[in-house]
Amino acid sequence: MAYVATRGGERAIEQSERLYRAELGQIDAARIRALRAALPMLIDRVMGEASLYEPDLAALALAQAGGDLYEAVLLLRAWRTTQPRLAVAAPVLQDQLFTHRRISAAFKDIPGGQILGPSLDYSHRLLATGVLQGRPFAPAPVEPAADPAPARQPSLAAWQKAQGLVADPPRAEVAPDEIPDLTREPLLFPAARAHTLQSLARADTGGMLALGYSAMRGYGNAHPTVNELRLAEAEVRVRHPRGTEFSAGRVKVSQAEVISKGKSGLLELGFCATLGWNEVKVISGATLDLNAPGAAKGSPVEEEFFLYHTEPVEASGFCIHFKLPHYVTFQSSLDALRGSKAAAVPAPESEEVTA
Amino acid sequence: MTIATLTKPWEAFSYGFLDASAKRELRRKMLKAIAVPGCQMPYASREVPMARGWGTGGLQVTLTLLKPSSVVKVIDQGADDSVNAASIRSFLSKVSGAAETWDTLAATLIQSRHRIPEERLRADQVLVLQVPNPEPLRPVEPNMSVARQMHADADYGRLWLILYEQIVRSGRIMQGASYPALVNGRHVMTPSPIPRWDLPKLHMAQHLTFLSAGREKRLYAVPPFTRVEPLVFSDVPYKVEDHAALTCHRSGVAGYFMNEIPQDGGGSVFELSDSNLGIKAIRRAEGEDVALGATWYENGKMQ
Repeated sequence: MAYVATRGGERAIEQSERLYRAELGQIDAARIRALRAALPMLIDRVMGEASLYEPDLAALALAQAGGDLYEAVLLLRAWRTTQPRLAVAAPVLQDQLFTHRRISAAFKDIPGGQILGPSLDYSHRLLATGVLQGRPFAPAPVEPAADPAPARQPSLAAWQKAQGLVADPPRAEVAPDEIPDLTREPLLFPAARAHTLQSLARADTGGMLALGYSAMRGYGNAHPTVNELRLAEAEVRVRHPRGTEFSAGRVKVSQAEVISKGKSGLLELGFCATLGWNEVKVISGATLDLNAPGAAKGSPVEEEFFLYHTEPVEASGFCIHFKLPHYVTFQSSLDALRGSKAAAVPAPESEEVTA
Repeated sequence: MTIATLTKPWEAFSYGFLDASAKRELRRKMLKAIAVPGCQMPYASREVPMARGWGTGGLQVTLTLLKPSSVVKVIDQGADDSVNAASIRSFLSKVSGAAETWDTLAATLIQSRHRIPEERLRADQVLVLQVPNPEPLRPVEPNMSVARQMHADADYGRLWLILYEQIVRSGRIMQGASYPALVNGRHVMTPSPIPRWDLPKLHMAQHLTFLSAGREKRLYAVPPFTRVEPLVFSDVPYKVEDHAALTCHRSGVAGYFMNEIPQDGGGSVFELSDSNLGIKAIRRAEGEDVALGATWYENGKMQ
């Protein structure tokens, strides 16, 4: 069948995958452990974008994808979506979080205090090149404070609400099973608030930064002030079928609240939270959220615009799909182009019309 | 009663990969799509083990329709052995136990990207078209919320306007593939990037067609015996690609949609885009007993 021989087909795709995997070598439990230990921030980022908190699976996905973040997120998402939804955890309130880091740029000091926690913010960004010459880089041990910061911290917005600086809309109680779930329903606009926050939580970090940064530079209406940035651990409290509520463990979470003076005469808040510790993502996401109300259609700070375009699996997939053959569509365009050229009369006046 | 009697043995994946809740949602949306031909139905569109934009929408519909007795054909640009078609087909048979085929006549379920086979589909066959962009209004209105409102109002004036502008600027309608069509006299749909050659095959067809966009989370359908009318002006007839007189240089068959293969030193040769029709024609010419189905086009003319 000479007709077929010109195309690669099944053997080609199999060998292509083998070539890629040959570079990565054998993946074993030791590699997963090493990845988890060495790259916790990367693991956090992947877990956030996959909306699946499982560091071992995230490390496995990174190992299988050879560090291609979009591939890793897709691996986790495709696995996640087949899993049953066993229970809905109890809502987490800010002042119940086991807080590691909590800072505010809005005030010099805040109730509960500014807690720097783990951060590279004030480090000098110098490469430890000695490592390459055989001198291991061992960080100096942490010296515990004489007076440890309390693990639980109040929310700054709660203080602002009490002062009448921030609107305090009544909170509607929603039954756990009634909470809209973006992973089981399409995102439609105007979006349910739950969908917006879920979509921000699993958005692509880089994409969110690009659009958030455009708003920060001036393509948005509001200049953000970081009201509160938190890195914490949240307890996952679920109800046993027998009725007892118990903690199924803790997950790392990050959240940012940014604030700006609104037209209403009150302060307005933008909010973003995600699984794992990822400060750039939550500050960018909160900035977009802050700018979204009343944004012009098609502007980068309009909700439909930034939520659609920061979806990592959709955006990366569509980008790489352009590698697929498109010769039928191209043939169709070519036909129209040739038809139009054949129909055109090469007279000077017709040139003016087409110009 | 023990827990064991209430549960099933653990399996890594459900039958047909998608879990029951995903399939149930899809079936509901597919039924809705049949009930309102050409109208885009939003659906959750779960992640699948393939990248978005690579047929995940078609895949979800196909996975929902598959059963062990299905015979599945997958084509990309008309070819069964195209790399992504091969990848999708092997995934489908692996997760469902369905049989694979390249033969349009033998298939019960056909998933396709950018082509409708040349052999007529029957009432017992289902066609699933992969859709990159489900919104025919996207060129005139990129905002989906606004476009949805325009569909509700049957407000298609701006689509007519761009077609008119093409005639004024270029002397003809320049729309290549994805030619917009009015379905059942109500909703304008994009038929996915099939060539204009294939669009008339959907009009009053015997088979059911699903069109599904996984990344954009929309699916729609053309039920059997439904009007599918390309948007045309009464004095400017619809024009398919000028392929009626071309001959396939491998099989010698003429009168179907062709791939153009540029040649060294200028000029082109052509080959059948529906690759398995070409294979069957070659086999038949070599004396094998191969059945060729009735085709939509005969001697380059739509029947």
